[in-house]
Amino acid sequence: MLKDRGSRFRVGVDSGGTFTDICIFDEEKSEVFVWKISSTPSDPSEGISEGVAQGLGAMPGGGDPASVVYFGHGTTVGTNALIQGRGADCGLITTEGFRDVLEIGRQKRPELYSLQSVKAPILATRDKRMEVRERVLFDGTIAQELNEDDVRNAVRELKAKGVKAIAICTLFSFIEPGHEKRIREIVLEEIPDAFLSVSHEIAPEFREYERTSTTVVNAYLGPVMRTYLDRLTPRLLEAGISAEPHLTQSNGGVISCETAKNQPVRTVLSGPAAGVTAAVELGRATGIENLITFDMGGTSSDVALIDRGQPQMANDIVVHGYPLKVPMLDIHTVGAGGGSIAYVDNGLLKVGPRSAGANPGPVCYGLGNEEPTVTDANIVLGILNQTHLLNGRMAIDAEASKQAVARLAEQLGIGVMEAAQGIIRVVTANMAKAIRVISVERGYDPRDYTMLAFGGAGPIHAARLAKELEIPKLLIPKHPGIMCAIGLLQADLRTNISLTRMSPLSLEALPMIEAGFAQLRERADEWFEAEAIPPAARTLRLAIDVRYGGQAYELTIDWPEDSTGEALIKAIRERFEGAHKQLYGYIAEEEPIQATTLRVEAIGHVPKAELKRYPPAAGKAEDAIVGTRKVYLPELGSFTECPLYERERLGPGHVVAGPAVVEQMDSTTFILPGQKATVDPYLNLLIEWKA
Amino acid sequence: MNQNSNPTAASGLYVDPVTVEVIGSALSTIVEEMGKAIVRAAYSTNIKERQDCSTVLFDAEGRTIAQAERIPIHLGSLLGIAEYVLKHVDISTVEPGDVFVGNDAHTGGGTHLNDIVFLEPVFFEGELVAWVTNLAHHSDFVDRGHKHIFQEGLRIPPIRLYRKGVLQQDVMDLILLNCQVPRERINDFRAQMAANRLGVQRYQALCTKYGKEVVKAASAEILNYADRKTRAGIAKIPDGVYEHSCRFDSNLVDEVMDLKVRIEVRGDEIFFDLSGNPEQVRAPINMVYTATLATVYFAVKTLVDPDIPANSGFHRPIHVAAPEGSLFNAVEPAAVYSRTDPAQRLVDLIFAALSKAIPEEVCAACTGGGLMTFSGIHPRTNRFYVYNEMCGGSMGARAGKDGLDGVQVHTTNTANIPIEALEFEHPIMVERYELVKDSGGPGQWRGGMTIRRKVKALDHTATVSAGGTNAIVPPWGLFGGMDGTTTNVELGEGVAPLHRRVGQVGPGQSIAMVASSGGGYGDPKKRDRALVLKDLREDRISEEAAREIYGLEL
Repeated sequence: MLKDRGSRFRVGVDSGGTFTDICIFDEEKSEVFVWKISSTPSDPSEGISEGVAQGLGAMPGGGDPASVVYFGHGTTVGTNALIQGRGADCGLITTEGFRDVLEIGRQKRPELYSLQSVKAPILATRDKRMEVRERVLFDGTIAQELNEDDVRNAVRELKAKGVKAIAICTLFSFIEPGHEKRIREIVLEEIPDAFLSVSHEIAPEFREYERTSTTVVNAYLGPVMRTYLDRLTPRLLEAGISAEPHLTQSNGGVISCETAKNQPVRTVLSGPAAGVTAAVELGRATGIENLITFDMGGTSSDVALIDRGQPQMANDIVVHGYPLKVPMLDIHTVGAGGGSIAYVDNGLLKVGPRSAGANPGPVCYGLGNEEPTVTDANIVLGILNQTHLLNGRMAIDAEASKQAVARLAEQLGIGVMEAAQGIIRVVTANMAKAIRVISVERGYDPRDYTMLAFGGAGPIHAARLAKELEIPKLLIPKHPGIMCAIGLLQADLRTNISLTRMSPLSLEALPMIEAGFAQLRERADEWFEAEAIPPAARTLRLAIDVRYGGQAYELTIDWPEDSTGEALIKAIRERFEGAHKQLYGYIAEEEPIQATTLRVEAIGHVPKAELKRYPPAAGKAEDAIVGTRKVYLPELGSFTECPLYERERLGPGHVVAGPAVVEQMDSTTFILPGQKATVDPYLNLLIEWKA
Repeated sequence: MNQNSNPTAASGLYVDPVTVEVIGSALSTIVEEMGKAIVRAAYSTNIKERQDCSTVLFDAEGRTIAQAERIPIHLGSLLGIAEYVLKHVDISTVEPGDVFVGNDAHTGGGTHLNDIVFLEPVFFEGELVAWVTNLAHHSDFVDRGHKHIFQEGLRIPPIRLYRKGVLQQDVMDLILLNCQVPRERINDFRAQMAANRLGVQRYQALCTKYGKEVVKAASAEILNYADRKTRAGIAKIPDGVYEHSCRFDSNLVDEVMDLKVRIEVRGDEIFFDLSGNPEQVRAPINMVYTATLATVYFAVKTLVDPDIPANSGFHRPIHVAAPEGSLFNAVEPAAVYSRTDPAQRLVDLIFAALSKAIPEEVCAACTGGGLMTFSGIHPRTNRFYVYNEMCGGSMGARAGKDGLDGVQVHTTNTANIPIEALEFEHPIMVERYELVKDSGGPGQWRGGMTIRRKVKALDHTATVSAGGTNAIVPPWGLFGGMDGTTTNVELGEGVAPLHRRVGQVGPGQSIAMVASSGGGYGDPKKRDRALVLKDLREDRISEEAAREIYGLEL
């Protein structure tokens, strides 16, 4: 079996609800091998170990599990447990008078105009939220000492009620964590094997509701994640893989199994993050470091912005009704995918967010859906293959698509082709709105960026979407359908830690701020040690949240490490004002600046799956043409015979002039009239407007 | 049927339904981006944390084309200003870069003086094509009298704060001199200016892309779409006349008043008759007509279709008659500061009246909320501070669902201020923030539980104003559901009784605000026993209530 003794493999496994994608990178050959297997939802670890074994076996020459040196893993275990309400029974210990903070939230109702709305289920029910006497003030002063008897009674009651996990969150613990630490000690004395989630460790930032919510979600997911990982590791060992899994987290980096077990909340929403990580690496390789990622699948599209190689972060995110104060990539999701349903609402054409998903799927699948979807529109327009999808693996009924779109056209009183193009226009407008959220609303001009389109449906829609936003360039990666699995191979170990230290930004406050950073550095060092990251592979990035005095929105500014004293204060002010001006268009020169939260990002660099550069293609681009198809072009108001290229046959240096369609197993790329696509050395398609 | 002839397009230009949808999406994006710009750049906590602001795009004729409101009372708050400017200003003198500012409820501003509105014209190819507008609630004009509007703060009719982009410093100086926290005001004004400037650029870009005539025609068609959608919803309500009356108290007046509403549903239109209600009073609980419109619009939107875009087309099938000089159509010099007191009750009245027609769609009466304001000299900074909080209560129960616990309802939806932000900023300590046991109106479906927020003044004497409606008459239940609880301001040790909501809280003293809570729906004896047991286990109801009211055999 061991035919390739010298090879070392890096494996990425993206385990979703339907499929598990496996991506194997051969370090020797710099080549990526891809495998897909149905997921096993009852115990995902089964499908994972089976899939990896199959994938290695199916590689040309076969792959030895013992040669797997790295195992990157993206999982939806945490996310699904949260959505489906399958987390652990958990309790909360908090400051007396405040057990309902978790339930009152920000006292707003979930929907402004619906009288039928309900709040997301409260994960620690009221009878399991215990209050203890203690109180810390905003400046860390202890107004009331911790009453340890209260704590002990609370823990015993929770134990009697059978809770599996306990969250601890008291007021102002991010300033003075002593009480929370003592509560933890007492809990462990009473219940030594309790899963504990302590707010000053999970999210040491101000705003009690958001911190409590995050801490409770973490407790809720803890036992689930622990069980899952305790099954996965032995299974991989059985399969001969000794490399310990690294899990993706929502900030785009990976963490060890151990960290994931203690802080499972960090893995929530990690799915789309890996795609952004792959985009960052692709940007680095190609030198295109200002990117807007557009990942369009069957039910939704995820969009994110990467500025000068840095993906943007969001510090306040609400997931399924639960605010989470964990570092997350700023990924915006909109209900616009290939399966999004088009319908007429009082005379206007609407598309989504309702989706036919994968089953029954678009009308053309013939599985029972009769409402036209975005995919059906693309079939009617001739952009998608007329008989089969997935490289011939799936037969479709193009006529059924046409009839469905025709019914819609009838209702709207317009032609069939206008209706089909109309569906594309409306879904494009919806996606453009999503991109405006992550660009324009954050002060970035989309025209300064290149759109990187992936996901099964991204490359079909990218050209029109980019045009809508006046984005000049488009990049379509070699494997648009498996960007997330590729991202798993390229993620650094990464942790973001923070600490709220509210103070005026002044010389007097500097020692306190610096002491805060020293604490964070210490924690980062502990983390580096725990993850066994060699000193040479360590990077620390310091940043500080600042705002004008009394403002409620902070901006995160890189900490000017090279200056001190007055110069440092001045540098922060300048950076803050620059960012403020960019976002809001003004500066309040006379106003004092306040520091709120200190942030440190610790990165442990791992050797990356380096993308392979291919030599210039020998043949002509025309050799990749495998046929033609009549595509409806609204620009010309008619069907036009467009060349059909096979992606695998295109090589570096080839130029494809639009209009054209490029087909490959996992996606279809549509190039508009007036555009040209150039194949780069990494086999990406770079699409631009012809001069 | 082809519904797509868009007959009212101003220019007669036909725009296909796809283009209308795409332009509609762009227009709503403009007002949303403007709103976010204000929230992010605003200076005061009230606008930033509570997002107490709204943005609107009017067409040249003053019709609402798109609106992004975060608080439903703003649905109508902006209706007056464009109309006022169009009526009182010679439009030929309006130039690009002119900015009108206004706040007077009686002359086209908002619905109370704290809502300061900025209105700016959009010019394209030399033609005035639209108005961008935004409103933000400024926590200022505190510690005032409220017998008539002259006591309530500086009245500003819509006047030019900028001419051709140039700030009229004398006007600004006059406004700032009349504000108690000018430092916040000036920065909030900047945020409002920035939002409008953004709106102007975005609207112009849209005109460049599609042509101003197409944008105009599409805008007109978007109004028609909202009109059709609203009518389709109203048509589902059985035709008929529906009436309801109730008692209404507010601790801002001595007497308990009688309020009533008569609603007629006729085909796809709905008529509200508010005659027979009390005359306007010398207290701040009067509503100007636009505030009444906003309230009615809110009620209709929730019952008919929450997704209707809030534009002038939506307004067309809704007719509201309220006699001038009455509580619901107050005229100068009526004071209006606490207009949400009667507004919340008006929504309850509308729901109760229509409960006979659409019992599944409505909810029992809800909280009126409780307003709590602390102000004084901050002992750490020696500056004047204002802490203003609209404390939520809870929602009335619905058919098949309990009312929401601990929320804001109806026309208000402001967030609370995080305790850890509040205590850092103000000389105040929150002692309790909790749901109140036995407060939800009992019923087969239980009214929501209200909130207690107990606040202590630290190292200074604060002037407080606290209270709300429902101190005497609790929110009612429906279909055999029982009433919720009344509003209560709990005075801590040593605090003298408040007069007309106002009093002093000394160092170390505290008060707690407990707003009224929502009523129940259906007979409590019919409540699912498992739910009664759960409420008992979770300490939401007492054993006594479980036994006596719900009939639980323990």
